[in-house]
Amino acid sequence: MQKEIVIVGLNHRSAPIEVRESVAIEHAYLCVALTRLQNYPSIEESVIVSTCNRVEVVVSATESHGAFNDISAFLAEQKSQRNPASLDEHVYSYQGADAVRHLFRVAASLDSMVVGEPQILGQLKAHYDAAHQAGSVGTILHRLFHRSFSVAKRVRSETGIGSGAVSVSSVAVDLAKRIFDRFDDKTVMLIGAGKMGDLMARHLQSQGVRSLMVTNRTFERAVELAERIHGSPIRFEDFPQYLKMADLVIGCAGAPDILVDAHQVEKVLRERKQKAMFFIDIGDRRNFDAKINDLDNVYLYNIDDLKSVAEENLQGRSNEASKAEAIVQDEVASFIRWIGSLEQAPTITALRQRFDDIRRREIEKSLGGSLKDLSEPQRAALEDMTSAMINKMLHGPISQLKNNHGSDDEATLYVAALKRLFDLEGK
Amino acid sequence: MEALTVKLTAAIYLLAAASNFYFVFRKDAVSRLPALALLAGFLLHTGALTARFLNEGFGAVALMGEALLFKSWLMVGLYLLIQLKYRVTVLGGIVAPLAFLMCLAAYAFGRADGAIPPGLESVWLPVHVTLAFLGNAVFALAFGVSLIYVLQERHLKHKKMTALMKRFPSLESLDRLNYLLLVWGFPLMTLGIVTGSLWAGIHWGNYWSWEPRQISSGIAWLFYGGILHGRITAGLRGKKAALLTMVGFCVVLGYFLLGDTMFPSRHGGRFQ
Repeated sequence: MQKEIVIVGLNHRSAPIEVRESVAIEHAYLCVALTRLQNYPSIEESVIVSTCNRVEVVVSATESHGAFNDISAFLAEQKSQRNPASLDEHVYSYQGADAVRHLFRVAASLDSMVVGEPQILGQLKAHYDAAHQAGSVGTILHRLFHRSFSVAKRVRSETGIGSGAVSVSSVAVDLAKRIFDRFDDKTVMLIGAGKMGDLMARHLQSQGVRSLMVTNRTFERAVELAERIHGSPIRFEDFPQYLKMADLVIGCAGAPDILVDAHQVEKVLRERKQKAMFFIDIGDRRNFDAKINDLDNVYLYNIDDLKSVAEENLQGRSNEASKAEAIVQDEVASFIRWIGSLEQAPTITALRQRFDDIRRREIEKSLGGSLKDLSEPQRAALEDMTSAMINKMLHGPISQLKNNHGSDDEATLYVAALKRLFDLEGK
Repeated sequence: MEALTVKLTAAIYLLAAASNFYFVFRKDAVSRLPALALLAGFLLHTGALTARFLNEGFGAVALMGEALLFKSWLMVGLYLLIQLKYRVTVLGGIVAPLAFLMCLAAYAFGRADGAIPPGLESVWLPVHVTLAFLGNAVFALAFGVSLIYVLQERHLKHKKMTALMKRFPSLESLDRLNYLLLVWGFPLMTLGIVTGSLWAGIHWGNYWSWEPRQISSGIAWLFYGGILHGRITAGLRGKKAALLTMVGFCVVLGYFLLGDTMFPSRHGGRFQ
């Protein structure tokens, strides 16, 4: 029976967040959902991928039209408990080569909101593992998903799609890496307890920063934040005298005035013997004097600078996307060939079997009748001769089938024709 | 045969330079080709140099062609050593074209007569020349490192993120390497001057004769000494230190290339 890969889903482009939420399936309930899905008649194998940006139901089915209806019914049932509105306008569906291409593009992060973001591959793996544990994965989806993981890896290593930081804090860390060689001997000062500063500090800690000072106008908030991110709190009026210890200074105080000016930094630099400093201004208001950037060995980036770098990188990524699409195209073709070959092997075996059955029956008939006086060696010769005849007759068609380098449709057509002509179905 | 080897060496260095530029500017590919080409060039270079010194004696180093061949050999060798420890592949992008030009020039100068007079053939010759040239080679690398520093710094100050920046090491490690090279180069240069002076004292009778080469070396020595002093005591670092290092090398290079023609002296093949 011809297996059909079918995907029905919705993502950040096709559906607003409320709709996506209404059909999203929590990881803990995946097993239950998969079992329910497997009960539909047309569905043989299934994987559900549900992240905050997409819900995709990937199945291998006996028949594509039935599969579409079954998955739609499944999704409708999934949703009806929360939101009665119809899903139809938000749902897309793919089958065959298009479905394979869609999954490969998702894995390679070509379909992501931020093209090239690396999380999707991990999410895909986790959802595949869940389906594997639930026992809803067979030969085809096993192969399909593993293929998609290696496509993602290939895209990542052969194109620049994942290169260049695209968020403000990762751009800042990227820049810090151009200035500093290592972070375990660096000290960070965080001025202000804003959300961005918190994030930035954590990001730097993951790069190895161990020493962290936190200051805020309200000392209690500094203490609170310092506790959370394992830093040491400093009173706001004292921070200028600690400035000379800081290699990276992050400003995210909501204050409307300049907290650190160029003269101050000049003095601090003399005390530090000109050791480099990196000022990152990521608050809503600017905390650092723009002239700081004019000093030697000091670099100042504000939120706009970081954002424009992030945008440039994003642009660079989409330029790399066309290379990635070519890789996906290539891999889709090879996967479809594999699916075709799945059908070929049993067809060839059945064809041989059929011919051999006829041969045996005819020999038996003859040996029981007109040829019953044949000696043992003569019988063997007869056996050999008829076998050779069958082999020679089948050689042409079988090698044609095996070495089919034409279109994939053609291969499927041959298989179907052989099945019909020699009545191989159901054998 | 030797000339052919030199030509071939130059060609391989050109390949190393070209591949280095190609891979530095490509976002998505890292290759060992540039480093391997440089290594292959160096091995061939070693062969050419050995053959030449075996044929003509080490005294031939007094000639422009041989001097260039020896100096570039030291430079590439030092770079390969540094590469082993510090992995500054981009520096190869400066070393390879420089080595190519020097080998090409060495080939162009060909073989001239005017080897060193017999009286001067002594153990001082290889000692003095090797130390002085080693010092020069170290400063050539310091120049390269400084140039990369200045480029990287410019990108950061002007807030331009390019793929190129990612290939450059961090400012901190470039500055440290620059300092390290200065710490090695300065004593070598000092020893080069001291041995040269001793040699002159033994053969010419006076240790210091104010000849152009001595004066220019003296200036460069004071200059590098000043940078080193500034780095150790006054917190001279970063861009200023890099720029000064580049200026220092220009003094050395300028004299090496033009000095002998503009101010004929007892160095550079005129020992009478």
